[in-house]
Amino acid sequence: MKKGYIYTIIFIAAVSIVFSGILAGVNAAYKKKIEINELAAEKASILYSMGIDAKGADAVEVFDEKVSETTVSGIKFYSAVADDGTTVYSIPFVGAGLWGTIRGYIAVDDALTEIKGIAFTEQNETPGLGGRIEEEWYKEQFRGVSLGTEITYGEDAGIDAITGATSTSNAVLKIMNEFIDTTLKELEEADGE
Amino acid sequence: MGNEIKTVFYRNLWRENPVIRQILGICSALAVTNRTVNSLVMGVGLMFVTAFSSLTLSALREHIPDRIRMIVQTLVIAAYVIIVDIFIKANLPEISKALGPYVGLIITNCIIMGRAEAFARKNPPLISFFDGLFAGIGYTVILLGIAIIREILGFGTIFGFNINFIDFTKWTIMVVPPGAFFMIAIFIWIASGIMDRRKKKEAK
Repeated sequence: MKKGYIYTIIFIAAVSIVFSGILAGVNAAYKKKIEINELAAEKASILYSMGIDAKGADAVEVFDEKVSETTVSGIKFYSAVADDGTTVYSIPFVGAGLWGTIRGYIAVDDALTEIKGIAFTEQNETPGLGGRIEEEWYKEQFRGVSLGTEITYGEDAGIDAITGATSTSNAVLKIMNEFIDTTLKELEEADGE
Repeated sequence: MGNEIKTVFYRNLWRENPVIRQILGICSALAVTNRTVNSLVMGVGLMFVTAFSSLTLSALREHIPDRIRMIVQTLVIAAYVIIVDIFIKANLPEISKALGPYVGLIITNCIIMGRAEAFARKNPPLISFFDGLFAGIGYTVILLGIAIIREILGFGTIFGFNINFIDFTKWTIMVVPPGAFFMIAIFIWIASGIMDRRKKKEAK
């Protein structure tokens, strides 16, 4: 249909306003619920990194019951008594993946000698390739890894990279090693004082 | 009206099925079909978006200036997709995570704009709604078909329930996207084969 310029501009403006309004309404209606979901997912990730078994709706309850929040030299982290009776710390990390930021939690034991577990809360890696870092088998292999030496893949280390996702796999290792060299060192020093 | 709906139904589900006849929406068909649940949610999301965007665009068809019609189509489609995305995030957080960016990418699914351009632009709202809905169902049915085979062979489960009673070796290739290529190709092959045979019969 042929229409004048002014009609066209008014029309697109009106359509934009109406649909933006609808979206704003829907967003406002669900905002709270989405925030609650995100918080629950975050808490479940922290528990997972600590090796505390809690799934779905239980995660929030278990978290609130067992986990406490501490801040040491500006680093906020979480501590809890794990299922085997030892104290574990879950510390947030952030680093660059292949396509975007990877965020998550690395849990370590009380004496800072080994990794208790790792969990990812945010990643934008290729689904089906790099995105597989979120799969259980990948994350589980980091449980019990010694913090003394640099973490590497390979038969000796007992950790497998992901086939077809070398860059993401290496990025995760780089993030972890950097985390050990910087964040963990800082915490250790702060703790010593 | 009844006959019209029947024609639209038959056309979208079989003769011009978006996935296996028009080869549209392949990107998401490859990505989300390793789990039936993901495929179902994706399909229902697409059904909703195609149906309502066709309805809306058809209702506005007399008023949309031709030169900006694609802008309006994209805007309307995007609005519905965002609604679906917010809804899934709020009510099905785990599936939302599994589907990742693919819900947002419904916007770029050619099926929706295809229906808007090919049908909703020239037809009244109600039949356009059904046209969009059936195109979405045509897409969902194929996705589910692919997903059922991929999930059984790849994970030994169906809708998450374990059915691997005889404990066969799982096919890793069915879990990764290349598995979907093989499955889609087989589906297209079968559909084209039946079509060709029918055409030859009619010619005789």
